[in-house]
Amino acid sequence: MKTYKPLLAIIGMFLLLESSALAASDDWRKLNPKEKDKIRRNYERWEKLPPQDKEHLREEWDRWNRMPQDQRDRLKQRFNDHRRNPD
Amino acid sequence: MKNRVAPLEGACKDYEEDLVLYYYGDCGAAERATIEKHLVQCLRCGKFVDDLGRVLPQMAPKPELPQAFWDSYFRETMAKLEEQTERQSWWRRWLAPMNGWLVPAFGTAAVAVLAIVLVLEKREVATTIDAASSTIPAEVLVDSNQLEFFKSLDILESLSTLEAQDSVKPEPKTSLIDDRRGARALA
Repeated sequence: MKTYKPLLAIIGMFLLLESSALAASDDWRKLNPKEKDKIRRNYERWEKLPPQDKEHLREEWDRWNRMPQDQRDRLKQRFNDHRRNPD
Repeated sequence: MKNRVAPLEGACKDYEEDLVLYYYGDCGAAERATIEKHLVQCLRCGKFVDDLGRVLPQMAPKPELPQAFWDSYFRETMAKLEEQTERQSWWRRWLAPMNGWLVPAFGTAAVAVLAIVLVLEKREVATTIDAASSTIPAEVLVDSNQLEFFKSLDILESLSTLEAQDSVKPEPKTSLIDDRRGARALA
């Protein structure tokens, strides 16, 4: 029985690593095609931005994450309204 | 009742149980020495031990079983063993010589199959990712924070403008390009 314990420990570690790797790529798989396309377009655009703009957008991202949820929802709503009705 | 057993005469209360154990040899060396020391001094307990030797064998006499009983017992045991051997399933008899290595071999094979399945699964995931986006690096695809960032890029570009339009007082701007980018994004 003693010889099985290290073997079980190794298998356990292996499964843990594999599951974490699979779980990590799961975020991308869960996105719908429209979202994937949007991310791809934004990434391509991002790559062409000058470094100071990239830095600014990173700062804005941090600021966005620090905002209260209700403010974020309101701004998102405003943004979507503008998108639908630019005038 | 011919073999009527004479009642035991009492020993010292403190020693009574120990004397029975002493009689059967079930006590340790120290206890044995204490009892023997006591027996030298106490005639009553000495008599008790003698009586034990006389009475106990009569209380549980060995049953004398006839030879016919043992013959029958042997035949029945052999018949049961044979019956059990016959009842053993064919696959158990077939696998019997492999008992020593079958379990480890099976375990190793199971681990190998599991590893292959997981590797293939991972490759399939990688292929899916590659097909979906050849332009986005893998470290972005596996980072939910990064994905969220690129998903929100449009809104981030116009964040300051949106805040200005909102009734809530906006936080100070972090850069002068806010208005330019925001206006472009909203346009």
